[in-house]
This record gives sequence, C-alpha cells and structure tokens, in this order.
Amino acid sequence: MSTTDGPTLMPDSESAKDAIDRVTAGRKKRHFTQPFRDKWNNLRRPQQWAFLLIVVVLAYALPILNPPIITSEPGNDWPITCFQMAIYALVAVGLNVVVGYAGLLDLGYVAFFAVGAYTAAMLTSPDSPFLHIPYLWTVPVAMAVTMFFGVILGIPTLRLRGDYLAIVTLGFGEIVRILATIIPAMKGQVGFQNVGRPPGVQADGSPLFSNSNGTPWYWLTLTVIIIVLLLAGNLERSRVGRAWVAIRQDEDAAEIMGVPVFKYKVWAFAIGAGVGGLSGALYAGQIGFINNQKFDVVTSILFLAAVVLGGAGNKVGAIIGGAVVAYIPLRFTAIAEYKYLIFGIALVLLMIFRAQGLLPARQKLLAYGRTTYERVSASTRSRPAAQNGGPPDGRPSDEAPKRVSE
Amino acid sequence: MTLLELKNVSVNYGRIEAIHDMSFAVQKGEIVSLIGANGAGKTTTMKTISGLLNPAAGTIEFEGEDITKMKAHIRVVRGISQAPEGRGIFPGMTVLENLDMGAFGRKDRSGMAADFDRVYSLFPRLAERKTQQGGTMSGGEQQMLAIGRALMAAPRLLLLDEPSMGLAPQFIKQIFTIIKEINEQGTTILLVEQNANQALARADRAFVLETGTITHRGTGRELLSNPAVKEAYLGVG
Repeated sequence: MSTTDGPTLMPDSESAKDAIDRVTAGRKKRHFTQPFRDKWNNLRRPQQWAFLLIVVVLAYALPILNPPIITSEPGNDWPITCFQMAIYALVAVGLNVVVGYAGLLDLGYVAFFAVGAYTAAMLTSPDSPFLHIPYLWTVPVAMAVTMFFGVILGIPTLRLRGDYLAIVTLGFGEIVRILATIIPAMKGQVGFQNVGRPPGVQADGSPLFSNSNGTPWYWLTLTVIIIVLLLAGNLERSRVGRAWVAIRQDEDAAEIMGVPVFKYKVWAFAIGAGVGGLSGALYAGQIGFINNQKFDVVTSILFLAAVVLGGAGNKVGAIIGGAVVAYIPLRFTAIAEYKYLIFGIALVLLMIFRAQGLLPARQKLLAYGRTTYERVSASTRSRPAAQNGGPPDGRPSDEAPKRVSE
Repeated sequence: MTLLELKNVSVNYGRIEAIHDMSFAVQKGEIVSLIGANGAGKTTTMKTISGLLNPAAGTIEFEGEDITKMKAHIRVVRGISQAPEGRGIFPGMTVLENLDMGAFGRKDRSGMAADFDRVYSLFPRLAERKTQQGGTMSGGEQQMLAIGRALMAAPRLLLLDEPSMGLAPQFIKQIFTIIKEINEQGTTILLVEQNANQALARADRAFVLETGTITHRGTGRELLSNPAVKEAYLGVG
C-alpha cells in the first residue's frame, strides 16, 4: 500500500478488489516470461507432450546437427562441448534442489561432484589399488556414497542457518579437495588415469564411449537429466516439495505447522548430493582422468552461478543456466580467460534487472496440480469467477494436493 | 482439567535469562492472556511452549505428558498450534496453500475438510481470497490467515502471539470476537498481548509478565481493576 492511498483502515470489498488488480497488474509487468508461461499452461496436455517431444528430439540431435554460428568449433570439439553443457546442467538441477527448493545456500557443492568422480575413478582405474567393478555399477555406488556424505555433512551443519551454513559448506568443499591431496590412496595431483567407461564397441572395434567422442556421453547424460527431471518434478509436487517451499519461505513457521524441518533439510541435502555425485561419476568417465586440480572452490561458485542465473527454484531454468555457464567459455575461446569477469558482470546485471533469474521459480501453486492452476487462471481472468469460484465446501476434491504415501 | 502446565521454567538466550522460574497452568476450555511490555518474555514463553525454544530448566506438561524435550513439529500433532508473532504466514503461497500447510501433520481427510469449512465460516474473507498470495494481503487479512492456518492443525491448545499487532482498532475488536468464538467452539486459547484492555476483558484468567517473571495473576476482571496493572498497562492511573 502506498502512502498516497490515504488511510484505509478496514478494506471494504471494492478497495480490496482494486488492491488485487494492482498486485496482479504489477506481477504481469515484472516477468517477461509470463506470456509464454500462460500460453504453455493453456495448452492441452497432448499439445504439451508433443512440444516436449520436439524439444527432446532436438536436444538429442544437438551434437549431430552441429549448427553453424552456435557451434563451438573450431576452438572446441562440438560433441564434447555438448557433453560439458549437459554435465553442468545436471549439476545445476541437483544444486537447485538444495538452493532453489529448500533454500539452503551451499557453497561447497563441488565436493559432492568430486566425491562422485573419485568414487567412479577409484573403482575402475587401473591406477587404483581398490576393488574394481564395471563402470556402470559405479554410477549408483557414486550416488549412494555422495548421499551418505550429504547426510554426514548435513546432520551437524543443517542446524545452522543462512550465512553460517554457507561458510561451513564452503569449508567442506575445500576439505574434500585437500583430502584428495594429502591422502596417499587418492593420489593427489598424479590422479587416476583410464577411468572406466560403459561397454560397447563401434564397427571398427574402438570403444563406443571413448574419451574423444562426446556424442554417446552426451546422450547418456541427457537421458540421465530427463530421468532426474521427471523425479524432481514429482518431488516438487509432493508433500516433500510443499515442505521445502514452506521451509524456504519461513523456517520457524514451517516447524510450527508440523513440518519436520530438519529432516526435510537433510533430505534436500542428500538428494542434491546424490545428483552431484551422479554428475561427477559421468564426468570422470568421459574425461578418463581425475586429479585434485579440478574441484576448486571457483567451480563451486560457478555451479551456484548456474543455478542463480537460471532462476533458483526452477528446474528448467537450472538446465539453461548450467548449459550457458558451460557453453560461453567453450564457444568464445578468445575471451575464455575472462569468463569469471563476464559471469560476474552478467550476475550483477541480472541482480539489477531480474533478481529472480532468467526463469523465476513459480512461488505459488508449486504444490498443486494442473486442475488448480486452470481454476486459478480462469478466476484471475474474469474476476466474478474468483468470488464464487469454488463449490461452497471450499475444498473440492480435485483441488486437494497430491500426497505421497509415507 | 489441566491442559498445559509450566513448572519452574527458565529460558536463556546465551547468558541472558529471558524467562525466570515461571510456573502457570492453563485449564481446558479457558482463554488465558499473558500481558506485558516489550521484552517481558511473552514471545519467549510462546516459543518455549510451541517448541521453537528449549528451556534451560523446568518442565512443560501437556495433557499430563512431559513434552519438555519434544520437537516442535511433534507438538503440533499432539495438539499445540501457534499463530506466530508478526503473523508468519508463507508470503509466496496462496491462502489455500497456507491453510493446507497448517494441516501438514494430519492425515484425516474428512476432518480436514470440516476444518476448512470451519475456517472459512469464521473468516469469510479467506474464502473470498482463496487464490490470493498471502504476502499480497492486508495486515488484518494476514492475521486472519495466520489464525486460520493454526486452526487447520485441529489444535486443542491454540497459541496466539499478539493477534492485534499493527491492526486498526475496529479490527482488533473483530479479531477478539472471533477468538472468543473459536474458544466457544471448544479450543483452549493462550494468548499474548500488549493490548491489555482487550486481552483482559476477554480472558478467563490472565498473568502479567515483567522481565521474565509473573508479577500478577487472577481473573481477567480482577486484573482489569487492579490499580498496579491499570497504571502500568491500561494507561490510566
């Protein structure tokens, strides 16, 4: 309410309606993506699926299409660039669960990425003295190990809030990197060569998933991203997702609503860590070589930048953010040295003009199904519908939120 | 029958003692008011009962069970629900979503539907605003939402922390009328207020809190006519 409105003590229904109109008008002006979002939500389900199918097919075709201008060649191999973009996108989707959904600022996410990469490397590389298992088995193992680390880190630190949590996670990121340096079994800078790869050979007998061929790795990672997105989408709409939204908006209020805040924060941390470990394992497989030089704090910040750039809390935004952060230095090799400067400026500009990121999170109705969305968008278009929109019982059955069984 | 009992409870913030050796009980079906100035320990008392703060000493019993060490989110399921100070609604959620969060710990669908009806009949305004975002509502509407949300947990004890804060005088009256109505429907209410006049007039019993200890106790009417209370809290001498 602005001060020029004068005193309006009890909002009568007329002034309240005006207030709603002002708010909705203001909101529409803020997001330039809103028309697209409305259009998308007004499409029928089959149309949405058809559109998604086209996007997915295009995404799979990306390394083969090698579109001119967009391509990173001749500076960098295009399929490898696609793979890098996919890995960053996957990392951003995982970090988005922690930062975007649950609102926990994690500055040491690279640690989970590193744990995943080292798990894959130490279980497959001939340089490693440990038990060797087929590469594809290391992927679930890496996820399990990083989730375990997520819980181990989460239990003592998630009692902290905001800035304190950020500092502790920052420290954790460094601890993992330094441990890789000082523990002899982790081989410091020497690292692990010849990390394993998925099975399969080409016609000429060379391995399908070779270090120089990015395309199969890209397809594998893209498939993983799609699976993770489907799971994340389900989580978002579940009871867990609603709890995360509540925790992000007001932790104390969530607790006194009966949300086991601590438990759900640890869950967010563990799930985010698992996705981080998964991407680390894929990364280690493609690169084929892992040492302690690749997991510095700057990478953590870059991961976070990807999430913030895309719009914390929006999984599609996270994918775009991750892909952009990976793409720019590989495409514009001449300015790659200045990538941190460029990202810094980009983030500052973003914070000034679009503080919620490229694709802002849907704050409201996150937890509710499509029927509710349709009801609401119908009622905001024609105001009378809002007044007597729902049946008199106030809680029609189709409006009930989805609850996962516990 | 005693619903809630605090026995010799002390609460510290670091080395500062916010509540000292406090004991009081709330009987089933009552409205009990805690009044006091800023910094007297009113909100601390509320947070200690709801479980957001842990007492350094003393015990809290609810329905005869010791809940001193019980986590806040479990206390909600047991029947203690709070409308926090400054309303504490979820600004990005709609009215419907906020109310639904209130029922987070519940599983009885039919009981929840009945409580939605109850909240909408107590606060018709919320029924009109179901799809509006909580953060865009007026202060009074947010207060209604905070109380409605707390009711969605089907509490046996409802904690209200400064329900009149920042509201227009005529609206304060309305809120207290609704509080009385909630109480008559069978919910025990413990409320904390700076607005001593209303809080004492509506309360069955009341306590006056000064720097972490209870200095006066009695029925609402007794305290309203108590000269010391009058002078300190009712602005008449």
